Amino acid sequence: MPRISPSLARKAIAKSSLLPRLLRANRTLEAAEQELRWIQQELPQQQWKNAVLRRSRLEPLQYILKSQPFGPLDIICRSGVLIPRWETEEWTYKVANALAKLGKEKQLNIVDACTGTGCIPLLLTHELYEQEGIPVDVVAFDVSDEAFKLASENLNEYSNIYKSGKYITIKQADLFSNDLVKELGVRKESDLVTSNPPYIPHEDYISSVSCNGTSRSVRIYEPSLALIGENEFYGALLEQLVIPTNSKGFIFELGYTYQANYVRDKLRNMESWKIGTSMDGAGRIRCVVGWQKGSEMEILEEVCDEVLD
Amino acid sequence: MIAMIRCIARCRGIRPLIAAKYSTVSAAQQRALALEKFDQIPQIHPLLLERAEVMKKEFASVESKMSSGDFDQDLTIKFSNLSIILENYAKYTSEMATFQELKEFILEPDQDPELLQDAMEEVETTVPQLLRSINTLQSRLLPPMKYDDKPAILELRPGVGGSEASLFTGDLMQMYINFANFMKWRYTIVSKSEGNAGFLNEVIMSIDDPGSYNILRHESGVHRVQRIPSTESKGRIHTSTAAVVVLPKMSDGTESSLKDDERQFAPGEVRIDTMRAGGKGGQHVNTTDSAVRLVHIPTGVTVQQQDERSQPKNKAKAFSILRARLAALERDKEFNEQRKMRTDQVTTTDRSDKIRTYNYPQNRVTDHRCGFSLHDLTGCMAGSRLMDVIEKVEEHEFESRLQDLIADSKAAAAAAAAASAVEVATTTD
Repeated sequence: MPRISPSLARKAIAKSSLLPRLLRANRTLEAAEQELRWIQQELPQQQWKNAVLRRSRLEPLQYILKSQPFGPLDIICRSGVLIPRWETEEWTYKVANALAKLGKEKQLNIVDACTGTGCIPLLLTHELYEQEGIPVDVVAFDVSDEAFKLASENLNEYSNIYKSGKYITIKQADLFSNDLVKELGVRKESDLVTSNPPYIPHEDYISSVSCNGTSRSVRIYEPSLALIGENEFYGALLEQLVIPTNSKGFIFELGYTYQANYVRDKLRNMESWKIGTSMDGAGRIRCVVGWQKGSEMEILEEVCDEVLD
Repeated sequence: MIAMIRCIARCRGIRPLIAAKYSTVSAAQQRALALEKFDQIPQIHPLLLERAEVMKKEFASVESKMSSGDFDQDLTIKFSNLSIILENYAKYTSEMATFQELKEFILEPDQDPELLQDAMEEVETTVPQLLRSINTLQSRLLPPMKYDDKPAILELRPGVGGSEASLFTGDLMQMYINFANFMKWRYTIVSKSEGNAGFLNEVIMSIDDPGSYNILRHESGVHRVQRIPSTESKGRIHTSTAAVVVLPKMSDGTESSLKDDERQFAPGEVRIDTMRAGGKGGQHVNTTDSAVRLVHIPTGVTVQQQDERSQPKNKAKAFSILRARLAALERDKEFNEQRKMRTDQVTTTDRSDKIRTYNYPQNRVTDHRCGFSLHDLTGCMAGSRLMDVIEKVEEHEFESRLQDLIADSKAAAAAAAAASAVEVATTTD
């Protein structure tokens, strides 16, 4: 990491004595000022100094402010649970916009695996039920105790504002468990399986951002349980959820092309499936999408930037 | 002259006989006087009167629609607009009728002097009334400007003058905040950015009351300040400028308006850039950067927003500003096209021209478009007297628009005449 130049530090200190510390996490003055503004807006004055100190040790701002906006929702964030990313927000919107075209007649049954804060089911329900009036039934689960508690808290907050909170169930379950479907209590038929499973291979987890790895803040503060993963998660998602619940479609977040190829190869001998990939706003591969030919989930093709064969 | 009539009128009350005697003596004079007064009454241009007649018909159709149960917001707005205009029109016609009667009466030879006196008195009161109603009617009858019912977005940026220009930009922002408070308008600071050493770079404000655009649009242009800046140590007067851009606000800039805003553009018309650090993204990094930049490809208009933690919120704000800028562009284009028809003696209203000077040592605000000077700078900056200046600009604009309209119709008539002449010529051949 480049060193902060003395002139930059002087400029920062001329503006506010709180700024120089924020430079350690931000590197540019504009970004540091922006963060200071948010800290000052959202926290009482006596906590500013402490917040800046924590941030200078690279603690994520979302943990310090205890929230992250996710669409119109404010998701509570806490150490021990992965912070919702803007890429996830982006594809969740895309999916919601596509599903909104299906109309209000039929209820959508959705399962969200590795839900973390619960951001995906909450935003989907908000966009589909609150905005479009489409009936939904969502089951979300996570293996982590902390994630389960936080997701329940987020659901509780959501239910205080929106009635549709009652259509979401949060469970604690392990994706690799033997009777996952029974534990979740989902019906035999589901329409869509969504997930943002851990997808960073171990060698990338330990390397720096400049080598396609993770940022220090992520390594130090975010749970590795939600980050380190390989193809086994995609295999389990398909074998434990998509196929047993006879799901008509799925969308999984990912970080590497080989993960999308793995999913395609898994379903290669099943004639009825179509697989595509979707890019994020920065032009990087972000999702693998699948749908059963002839089902209404064919609408998910809209989300894709490329359809694999 | 007026004093004389008044004097006569007063005398009449006390000593009617003498008054009558006096009046008989100066009856001819009085007539001349009255005629002079009649000449003061401006003619409403026939084009405008024609418009009023068209509006009357429109009003009837709107009314019948409303009574048949067809009821929506646009219709009610139209209805109330039309009814205000027609009310003015009715007032004008009735006043004009009484005035005509008076005129005929006074011009008739061999009038009874007593009655003539009364008539003269009535003229005294009718003329100013008539002038007023003519003015209001005329301003209402001009075709409405585009987006004049919209709320406004104000963008302030320092021009030449370095840090003093930044300070003045801050003062202008405060002036518009005061003005909004004075007008009882709701306002929000959409974004505010400061450059090095805390000097203001740009402020974007949104004034959320419908119709505020129609008043504030006169503020668009370069504002110049002449004063001894607080940063000046030798007491010299500096001249610096700040640019004000006023845009019609087309949408709320919230997440709920975002979908509608996005729908206004064809796919690929707007490029959306999110400013993200390199690397793999996703779970690998937990950035707080939520800045959004929009580029409208056909025009190259660029908008950037970063103040909110939520990216969709920044996007919504950016789309709202983009739409406002494009609407302003479109409006300017239309306005210039209308003006281009009249090539002679067009006074330019170029954006680069300074429109107003704030002279602190002389406590004076001068608007260069209408040449009006307000000798109460503090009152103007406090928001309470700004409307005085804007009203003068409005009057000036009204004059020039009326001239445009008349010139346009003359040109159209001339063209029609020329066309028919050509036709005649060809037929005779």
